[in-house]
Amino acid sequence: MIIRALLAALLVSGPLVAGTPLPFDIGGPFKLTDQYGQTRTEADPDGRAQLLFFGYANCQNICSAALPAMAGVVDTLAEDGISVTPVMITVAPDQDRVGTMGAPLAEIHPDFVGLTGEPEALKSAWDAFSVEVEPLFQDPEYGWIYSHGSFVHLLDADGRLLTLLPPVLSVDETATILRTYLSPDGS
Amino acid sequence: MRGKFKAALAVMLAPLALPAAASEGTRIQVTGEIIDTWCYYSGVMGGPDAVVGSAHHTCALWCSAGGIPVGLLAEDGTVYMVLKIEQDAGSASGDTQLSLAAHTVTADGMLYERDGLNYLVVSEVISDMDIVNTTHEDYGTVPPFSFPDPNK
Repeated sequence: MIIRALLAALLVSGPLVAGTPLPFDIGGPFKLTDQYGQTRTEADPDGRAQLLFFGYANCQNICSAALPAMAGVVDTLAEDGISVTPVMITVAPDQDRVGTMGAPLAEIHPDFVGLTGEPEALKSAWDAFSVEVEPLFQDPEYGWIYSHGSFVHLLDADGRLLTLLPPVLSVDETATILRTYLSPDGS
Repeated sequence: MRGKFKAALAVMLAPLALPAAASEGTRIQVTGEIIDTWCYYSGVMGGPDAVVGSAHHTCALWCSAGGIPVGLLAEDGTVYMVLKIEQDAGSASGDTQLSLAAHTVTADGMLYERDGLNYLVVSEVISDMDIVNTTHEDYGTVPPFSFPDPNK
C-alpha cells in the first residue's frame, strides 16, 4: 500500500500519454547471437514488440529484480493479448555464452531471449543505447560483477525505441504505461 | 532476489549517459532531496521515511555508484527522475550525483513529462543545503550493513 502511494507520487496525475520527447536520442541496430546460437538483430523475428534490458543472466543483483519484473510485465500484457518478447543483451560476455545463458533466463521466463556476441558487436549495442558497462570486482563464487545501465527499453517489432522506463516501477505500473504503446497484436 | 542485497548496492548499474537531442521541456525550479529511487520505491530496505536522509546516505551512494537513477523528492512529495545534473551527463554515478546524495537542493532545470513520469534535467543546482534530513536519529543506518563494521 505504501509503495502504491509512492508510485503515485512518481507518476504524474492525469491520463498516461507519451508526452514530451526526452532530450536524448538512443537506440539503433545491433547484430548479436542468442542462446541457441542464432543470429538476432534489433528486429523481432516473430513481429512482436520487445522489452530490452542490459544485464547478465547470473547477475545476483539488480538484474535479479529487473529481469523477473520484465517477465511479470510480459505475462501481465499477455493476459490482454499483447505479446512482448523479453530480451536481455549481456554486459558480461565472459559469463553469458551460447549454451550457458539459456537455462538461467528460462527460469525467469520461457520466452526470454539472451543475446551475446563478439566484443565489438556488444560494444556497438551498448553504445547505441548509451549503456555504460564497467567491471567492478570479482566475486569468488559468481565471477566478475558488473556495473551497467539500468533503464528498461520498449522497442517495436522493428527494433525502434518507443520509450524507456526506470527500473523502479512495479509490474502493474510498467504494464499500464506499455499498454499506451502496444496493441493486442504486439505492434 | 537470489543474492544478498548488500552486493546489489555495490553493483547495480552504471549511469545512462545521455547524448543530446533536440526536445522541449518546461523550465522549473524545485526544492527537495536527492534520493535513491530504487530503495525508495522497492521498499526492500525499509519504509519511505527510513530510506531518505542521513540514515540512508551510505546506501544511496552505493546505489548511485552502481547506476540506479537518482531522484529528487520535492517538498510536495512529487518525485522527479533525474536524468542529468549539470556537467554530469548521466542519471547516476557521476561526481555531482554522488556528492549530492541525500542532500536537499534547489535545482533549476528542464522538466519532461513522459509516460506519466517526471524526468528532470538539472541545469544548475542553485543551492545545496547539505544533508538536512537527519533520519539517522530515528533509524540509525539503513540498512545497517551499508556501513561496514570497522571492527570486522
